[in-house]
Amino acid sequence: MKKIFTIAACLAFGAGSAMAQETFPRNGVYDERPGLVALTNATIHTDYKTTLNNATLVIRNGKVEAVGTNVKVPAGAVVVDAKGKHIYPGFVDMYSSYGLPEVKRAQRNWGSPPQMESNKQGAYNWNQAIRPETNAVELFKADKKQAEELRKQGFGTVLAIHQDGIARGTAALVTLADKRENEVIVLDKAAAALSFDKGSSAQDYPSSLMGSIALLRQTYLDAKWNAQNPGREQNISLKTFTDASRFPQIFEADDKLGVLRADKVGDEFKTQYIIKTKGDEYQMLKEVKATNAPLIVSVNYPDAYNVEDPYDARRVPLEAMKHWEMAASNAGLLQKAGITFAFTASDLKDKKDFLPNVRKAINYGLSEEEALKALTATPAKLLNAENLVGSLSEGKLANFIVTSGNLFANDNLILENWVQGDRYKITEVPSDYRGVYTLKIGNNTSKKLKIAGTPDKPELSVIGTDTVKGKISFSGNLVTLSFTDSKKSNETIRLSGWLADKNLQGEGQLPDASAVKWSATFSEAMTQQDKKDSAKKAELVEVGQMIYPFRAYGQAELPKQETILIKNATVWTNEKDGKLENTDVLLKNGKIAKVGKNLSESGAKVIDGTGKHVTPGIIDEHSHIALNAVNEGSQSVTAEVRMADVVNSDDINIYRQLAGGVTTSQLLHGSANPVGGQSAIIKLRWGKSPQDLMVDGADGFIKFALGENVKQSNRSNASERFPQSRMGVEQTYVDAFTRAKEYEQAWKSYNKLSKKQQAKAGTPRRDLELETLVEILNGKRFITCHSYVQSEINMMMKVADQMGFKVNTFTHILEGYKVADKMKEHGAGGSTFSDWWAYKMEVKDAIPQNAGIMHNLGVVTAINSDDAEMARRLNQEAAKSVKYAGVSEEDALKMVTLNPAKLLHLDDRMGSLKAGKDADVVLWNNHPLSIYARPEKTFVDGVAYFDAERDAQLQQDMEKERMRLIQKMLTAKAGGAKTQNPTIKKASVMHCEDVEHHEEESYLAY
Amino acid sequence: MKIQKRYISAFAALLLSTAAFAQVPAPAVKQSKPVLLKGATLHVGNGTVVENAAVGFENGKITYAGPQSGANLSGYEVVDVTGQHIYPGLIQPNSSLGLNEIESVRATIDWREVGDFNPNVRSVVAYNTDSDIIPTVRANGVLMTQLTPIGGTVAGSSSVVQLDAWNWEDAVVKADEGIHLNWPAMLIPTGNKEYDDRLNRMKDRREETLRELGQLLSDAAVFKAAKNGTENLKLSAMAGLFDGSKKLYIHTNYGKEIIESVNFVKQHGVKDIVIVGAGDALAVADFLKANNIPVIYSGVHALPSRAEEDVWQPYKTPYLLHKAGIQFALDYDLSIHGTRNLPFIAGTAAAFGLDKEQALSSVTLNTAKILGIDKQAGSVEVGKDATIVVSSGDLLDMRTNNVTHAFIAGRKVDLNDKQLYLYKKFDGKYKDQKKQQPAGATTSTGK
Repeated sequence: MKKIFTIAACLAFGAGSAMAQETFPRNGVYDERPGLVALTNATIHTDYKTTLNNATLVIRNGKVEAVGTNVKVPAGAVVVDAKGKHIYPGFVDMYSSYGLPEVKRAQRNWGSPPQMESNKQGAYNWNQAIRPETNAVELFKADKKQAEELRKQGFGTVLAIHQDGIARGTAALVTLADKRENEVIVLDKAAAALSFDKGSSAQDYPSSLMGSIALLRQTYLDAKWNAQNPGREQNISLKTFTDASRFPQIFEADDKLGVLRADKVGDEFKTQYIIKTKGDEYQMLKEVKATNAPLIVSVNYPDAYNVEDPYDARRVPLEAMKHWEMAASNAGLLQKAGITFAFTASDLKDKKDFLPNVRKAINYGLSEEEALKALTATPAKLLNAENLVGSLSEGKLANFIVTSGNLFANDNLILENWVQGDRYKITEVPSDYRGVYTLKIGNNTSKKLKIAGTPDKPELSVIGTDTVKGKISFSGNLVTLSFTDSKKSNETIRLSGWLADKNLQGEGQLPDASAVKWSATFSEAMTQQDKKDSAKKAELVEVGQMIYPFRAYGQAELPKQETILIKNATVWTNEKDGKLENTDVLLKNGKIAKVGKNLSESGAKVIDGTGKHVTPGIIDEHSHIALNAVNEGSQSVTAEVRMADVVNSDDINIYRQLAGGVTTSQLLHGSANPVGGQSAIIKLRWGKSPQDLMVDGADGFIKFALGENVKQSNRSNASERFPQSRMGVEQTYVDAFTRAKEYEQAWKSYNKLSKKQQAKAGTPRRDLELETLVEILNGKRFITCHSYVQSEINMMMKVADQMGFKVNTFTHILEGYKVADKMKEHGAGGSTFSDWWAYKMEVKDAIPQNAGIMHNLGVVTAINSDDAEMARRLNQEAAKSVKYAGVSEEDALKMVTLNPAKLLHLDDRMGSLKAGKDADVVLWNNHPLSIYARPEKTFVDGVAYFDAERDAQLQQDMEKERMRLIQKMLTAKAGGAKTQNPTIKKASVMHCEDVEHHEEESYLAY
Repeated sequence: MKIQKRYISAFAALLLSTAAFAQVPAPAVKQSKPVLLKGATLHVGNGTVVENAAVGFENGKITYAGPQSGANLSGYEVVDVTGQHIYPGLIQPNSSLGLNEIESVRATIDWREVGDFNPNVRSVVAYNTDSDIIPTVRANGVLMTQLTPIGGTVAGSSSVVQLDAWNWEDAVVKADEGIHLNWPAMLIPTGNKEYDDRLNRMKDRREETLRELGQLLSDAAVFKAAKNGTENLKLSAMAGLFDGSKKLYIHTNYGKEIIESVNFVKQHGVKDIVIVGAGDALAVADFLKANNIPVIYSGVHALPSRAEEDVWQPYKTPYLLHKAGIQFALDYDLSIHGTRNLPFIAGTAAAFGLDKEQALSSVTLNTAKILGIDKQAGSVEVGKDATIVVSSGDLLDMRTNNVTHAFIAGRKVDLNDKQLYLYKKFDGKYKDQKKQQPAGATTSTGK
């Protein structure tokens, strides 16, 4: 029996240390104690890499006074013999909401009237999601229950962040001691916090992710402007935003893409965020590493799925299966990549999972040293609180845990957690009673007891003529046993007793109700085999392959750029040579090297194109794939939002469209407002990061929109948001561009001033919305304008004339045929649907000859999709212009290749097969305008991102991988792992009119 | 420029007609004399192809369909369609064409009634023969449709109509031929505890709906026999389900729902069942075959429902249904105006494995069989209605689809439509502008 601690279990509230209590009057006599304790004979891990054996830790008044192997126990110290125990610095969780009020998300219905302005009264920011004036220290209330929960996992200190809004204000570093707030707050402002989540704000703007990003950008500029021009506007929010910039900046990201997005904004404003992640960073390790951001990593691992029903198991996507297997590898992979990270328990529904999950990370490849560092030194360092927490040395807070053995061993127990010198007992000392005992009940000595299991969960078996399992429990030095006489018997013998040295003895009751005396004499210790079993260390777990992107049709190795020679095909050059029979195309270094007859190239991979067709890659002028959001429709002008901020490189539709021959897409903002956001133009380089999808050096474009969507006429209620008619739409533009001109003028005037005059005049405010409109006025950004009826098309061109800019492209433009002459005169192109009409009032006069008429009048005409499905057969949509309007086949093909390239100002690089242009090329099995045609290979930059043969192989591999994971999940479930039901996550396919992208969990089974 | 010529001649015809600017042409008059189309490739609709064929019809019925060499030309007005293709008129099942003009305008919507159980509601009486959309659909070869009510659990009764009529009575091919049941969706937990309450409420509602449906079917099955003198419109409307005179179209996609729904209605004595939508039909192919249930598959031009699926899964499904031995037809369900793309749905199926003639059957004869009108429609065979399309090229490929003639029960359909009218109107404007400009002049470039 080893009852090692001799002092009372838990110190009373407030006693022991006396920091920061001095101002409070007392009721009764003063009871200040020195709080002087010496823990001796312990294995002390003073920091993540230093271990002292047989060492002493002396604490006084809540702080460490001394630690080491030669430390003398000071006179008057309470001595705690910690022989055989380990002491570690208390953990630090730098992403916590401990002690702070719950954040309630704004509940607003679709029909609710718009909330254009902030509901917060006072001299604060215009936008309610910007709340840097929040100081967590002012909201903080120590919470015994939460504190206990966290202490049980080994935490001593947490960073309390009020997780509400985009700019969240400052966070406080607090300990988990059950003391008055005045004592537990160790740093009132330790960090500032940010996110892209508007939290409790019910204000309309921002309604989308790219709106949140734009708002944060503008806030940085506004704060700077406000600081540089004191007195121009009293704004507590902007002032506190600037004040908070001196603290570490902690950014909460939604996922791996969120990490990249946050870091990008940080870079723009020369701020390195510390980024809180969801634990999926391993899926984009290279990109995450390149951010240089320290991470705060969640150890929230998904449960296995119930996959017994093969039909329902289909619902579990590959990435969910793989993440189930690999989530615990995240930390180890981060370590290997050399990324600095701290752990947080914040995402765990059940905080009890924290330490077991950290241990799991170790089984999956994380080193113990790195794990301890992520729990102690790293968060302390990131918070500039190394002088307080994260290690044990003189002057630090007396925050430490006492454990039964190596912290990361599976059977280790945290026995005590000391916070600011206060001792909290976590686990009763589990003495080790395991062994074999000779049992004597009354005079009967025919049975033996075997106590196995672990010290805290002993397991009993009673060995007689047969062996039965029984129940045993210890409470202090009391013991209770129960078991049946034999396997067949269902009558239970119950014994109660106490410990006497190594033996047990007491009284009990037999099934026949007779009382009996009993004893169990210790005869031998646990066998070596039993010891091995219970102390068995899990072996390093093997997991499946990483794939890019991390989902269906992802690949371990991305296809490479090759030198390709396609021989003897029908080649649609889109150049003056037109369509060439029996012709070869050579792709080299990502470019089209040659088009001609009888080409040869040593080292080239030769593809027989006999009977096949080669065309330039299809370019979709109007697409909403690969985006996490589409519409920031909350204000009528949102020129400041950028689709490039929300590109989702994991979207399966990238791959599906490659399979339809698409190589380049313009990702447009939606059509909810007259001036939408800035486009992103991407190449479909499946498997690459959002940044790598961008077409380098492409001109900037922006979405405008007219008609029913912007005037919200198909909503059930009339709104107060201006405009609600085509009349108002015109005025919205005139007003916006008038303001833009004034804005430009203000800056021009300012820039002409001398330094002195400038100082006197004050800097004009930078406004990202107006800046974007100025770009349009200066011919540096180009418009794609969603439009349907002739009146509004005409109006838009007249506003452009009046304001001095051009409309580059009218998109949809279903009544373009009515004003094609005017479009031609203005110089606008048209990008239209082939045959859509009649689904709403403004398209009742649409005709499938529209593209043909515009084309015949000399308008650069494209056919677009606005739909992820139709985009896979844009070649067929182009063919309809031949059918309905008699356009030539070559011109029809140009409507989905060269013409959209022209509209995007990319025709010097794409859209035709000409030496020197990008090797964006499709090999078709049939005439490319025929319904029977399908791509066999789609090249982007000379890389075969789609290959029909490889596609078949990928499907097989994917199915095998799923089967492997399903089997593994079934095994895990059989072994007692927690499980969850497969659910359906439906990623909605987005169109112009969609408000926000939601990956929705659906109740519906199909 | 064959195509342009057709438009020009069509336009000339428009100008000559007294209703020159009518956007919905007048329905064709009854066939007055026997007509024989000769020289074309005949696609019968049942898988057979006859090269160099002739098709004759009189009084609206087909009198000859076979090799031109075997045709007796006497008495026929012979139309030479050499080099062209003859097909049965295409049939669009499961459709709102003519029940709704503009989807965003509520006043034009007539496909949904309030209430959960409306078997007595009849779609045919709301059919608008003067819809601007209908002529554009005919122009691509679709000549019949099934007017299908949607909404609620039992949505109402459908009828099959032809697409060239003065009024809905004229249009009827088969009235009130089936009842449409929207199978209540099975519900699964989302894994999100917050929603459990809502889920449970929805589950309760589903059970209640199924209980009511069961009661309705039980009552309807015996209603005729009971003869208690009190009429019940709902029960009367359903009587045909139990003697096989009416079909029950069950709209569902999920495999387990397919099995559940079929077993449910069979237990209540429903004889003739069709599954509509049928997204998961392949997963329950053996069940469908064992129960002899045909399907109307809706989702060809769709994205796969899961990222893991074959990129082309929806395009390949018709072929796979065929291979699995399931009787099926295809519909176009993405929009009403898009019904004119029905031939290309079949074309897509042909591009992804289905034989071209089988693909044709899936929008003609198979559909006719499933709708129970194959005695009169769905193929070009003697004795059937002369509901026929002639195209100068492959009808199923937009590259070659070019309908030159269409007949509905022998009546020669006017292939003009509102869109052609608008095309000519504005094309004419620009041509006039060009004439007024001296050759070589360019339009002003503005500023």
